[in-house]
Amino acid sequence: MASQKRIAKELADCTTHAPAGMSIALATDSDVHKWHVTLDGPAESIYSGGKFGLVVTLPPEYPFKAPVVTFATRIYHPNVTNDNVGSICLGLLKAENWKPASKLLSVLQAVRLLLVEPQPDDPLESRIADEYRRDRAEFDKNARAYVQRYAKGPVKFDGTNVGADAGAAGGSGKRSTG
Amino acid sequence: MPPLNAPEEGVPAAGLASWQQDNSSTSYASYAPNMLSELPELGPLPETPTSSPPAPGPLLSPPASFMRTTRPRRFSNISISSVAATVGSETQSACVGSTRDLTGRSPVLLINYQELQYESEVDKSLECPICRTPFHAPITTKPCGHTFCSECLLRAHQLRPVCPIDRRPLDVERDFCKARVIHDQLDRLRVKCPSQGCGHVCARELLAVHYERYCEYTPVLCPDNSCDLWIARQDAAPDKGCLHKYTPCQYCSKQVMKAGLEEHYDRECSGNTVKCAQCDSSVVQHRMENHVANDCPSTVVLCKWNKYGCGKSAPRHDVQAHEKKPCIYQAIGRLAQDREDDRLIISELKVRLSAAEGRLRVAEQEKTERRERKRRQAGNTNNTMPPFVPDLNLSNSPRAAASYNNGTLDSPEDYMLAQFERMETQMEDLRKNIHELDGLHSMRLLNDTMRLNEQIAELGSKVGVIGMHTTWLMNVQRQSRGQQRAGGVVGSPLSSLASSSGGPGTTNSATGSVTNAARNAPDNEGGRYYNSSLPLRRNSDGRGENPPRL
Repeated sequence: MASQKRIAKELADCTTHAPAGMSIALATDSDVHKWHVTLDGPAESIYSGGKFGLVVTLPPEYPFKAPVVTFATRIYHPNVTNDNVGSICLGLLKAENWKPASKLLSVLQAVRLLLVEPQPDDPLESRIADEYRRDRAEFDKNARAYVQRYAKGPVKFDGTNVGADAGAAGGSGKRSTG
Repeated sequence: MPPLNAPEEGVPAAGLASWQQDNSSTSYASYAPNMLSELPELGPLPETPTSSPPAPGPLLSPPASFMRTTRPRRFSNISISSVAATVGSETQSACVGSTRDLTGRSPVLLINYQELQYESEVDKSLECPICRTPFHAPITTKPCGHTFCSECLLRAHQLRPVCPIDRRPLDVERDFCKARVIHDQLDRLRVKCPSQGCGHVCARELLAVHYERYCEYTPVLCPDNSCDLWIARQDAAPDKGCLHKYTPCQYCSKQVMKAGLEEHYDRECSGNTVKCAQCDSSVVQHRMENHVANDCPSTVVLCKWNKYGCGKSAPRHDVQAHEKKPCIYQAIGRLAQDREDDRLIISELKVRLSAAEGRLRVAEQEKTERRERKRRQAGNTNNTMPPFVPDLNLSNSPRAAASYNNGTLDSPEDYMLAQFERMETQMEDLRKNIHELDGLHSMRLLNDTMRLNEQIAELGSKVGVIGMHTTWLMNVQRQSRGQQRAGGVVGSPLSSLASSSGGPGTTNSATGSVTNAARNAPDNEGGRYYNSSLPLRRNSDGRGENPPRL
């Protein structure tokens, strides 16, 4: 009903005015509630050269509830959980901040911007955030290593190219609720 | 990652419920009946074959009834979203559910305004920022001036009582108001009927009526009471029974719903095609007749100009080529066709003209009749001045009532008009009479008073004369008395009288002698003094008047 039409419009919007380096497709043709977005690491960031898969899941109550955006490809980033879930901490998508009038295009742009400019003050992985703040060189090295390891080659959205060594990261214990 | 919990906080349940009721009465109820009332004319309901025909009742039924849709309904052709809305389930059902009449049977599926197809591209500014479709029953927020569909805004408000755009806190009672201008603008948008198979396009405000009353394709509840499914109105005849029972296809072994049989033949069924005997193409069996009559290229047909003399008769594809060449009879054929068209138009115009003339004649007849009646009535009232009794009551005017009953007047209105005109003429006559009477009265009054006035003036003058005489006499008396007191000094009265008659400038003594003489003289002598017209004056008195004549 309502959401179908809106989602169709959002999809058209996003595909015609896609942010740089993004391509959007439906996970399955029959279901408009799950999108697969391929994002080329922005050239101005340390993630350049990598190809990241994003899964955008729209809840049935969309647009009244916020969409869920996760990284299908593992990424070394203070605002993305370093596991095979790949949750993103994005202010726009928090339940208390979500507005039904927000557009998915702006969500995707925000995700891209997050790669260019991590937000260590509002982290999901506090260890990576600390590293980002204190030892940028080490962070850059680790991030590039993750890109080399996970973000090369064709993007897979089924989670097979993530989580090869889930323990490498700090683990969920250090995760803040940012 | 924070969990996506539904923020239910901040919406007091009672307040929300009251809004929903309020909303239902402000937005839905008032929007829908408005649409109805704006229609110029609603003809009688089409004969709907449903067992419970959708009377206007359900249309105008209180919207609370469709807010309370309980039984979920399913219709194969209509994409009812399977959104199991945990939040705002009431509003959800309000748009997916159905209207219901009192018996609980719902005649038609409600229109989902967000799914409507618009004939032309709708301006982006008329789209709700939440559902991204043209507003339906728009509401504007008072503090920030943002507009949303009522349904979208209410649902968003249910989650969090703030504006969905700038997060300004909003209060349902205070901060929402209907956006009438936008609503009117939206009502004029042209939309396609949402029923499958119906190509009707109309203004959005008229859609509800078309859809709920006239559209033959509107999904209505299956006439079978035990069946919960929807079926197009044209198929919902009680004698057809429930078309949702599965029957085996007559060509293949598949079980197919009766309602979907045609579609099955067209799309799925493989065993129903047969080869055309003439053109080798395979055609759906029950469309064969149609194929032979219209499509089959091998069937022998006549040239389309055969009426005008072309005798060509060949398989269809040959004839088509022949017609394209073109057929030599085409020119004359076209001419003849044009003439036929013209003749049709002319005859139609003739019919209209005669109808118009008839109407004109009737109107003129009525006019003359009315004039005649008026004149007759005017004559009646002039001849016999009606008594001053207001006969407003029908029973009080036996003449008019009789004429009405006798059929000289066609209708109660005419009768009342005649009555009214009669009253008017009566009033006019009365007014004239009153004027006459008025004039008469004033004339009579004037005549009477004039005589009286004259008499009064005469009397007044007489009184004045009498008064003067009295004073004159009294003066004479006073003077003679004074002379008597000084009697020795004065000479004989007769000599003094003689001397005084010499001129007007007589002295006091002279006049004194006169008055003396007058006093001495008897009464009849006084008359002599009057008639003698002697100017007798007394300078000391200052009165230079003669005694007036009577």
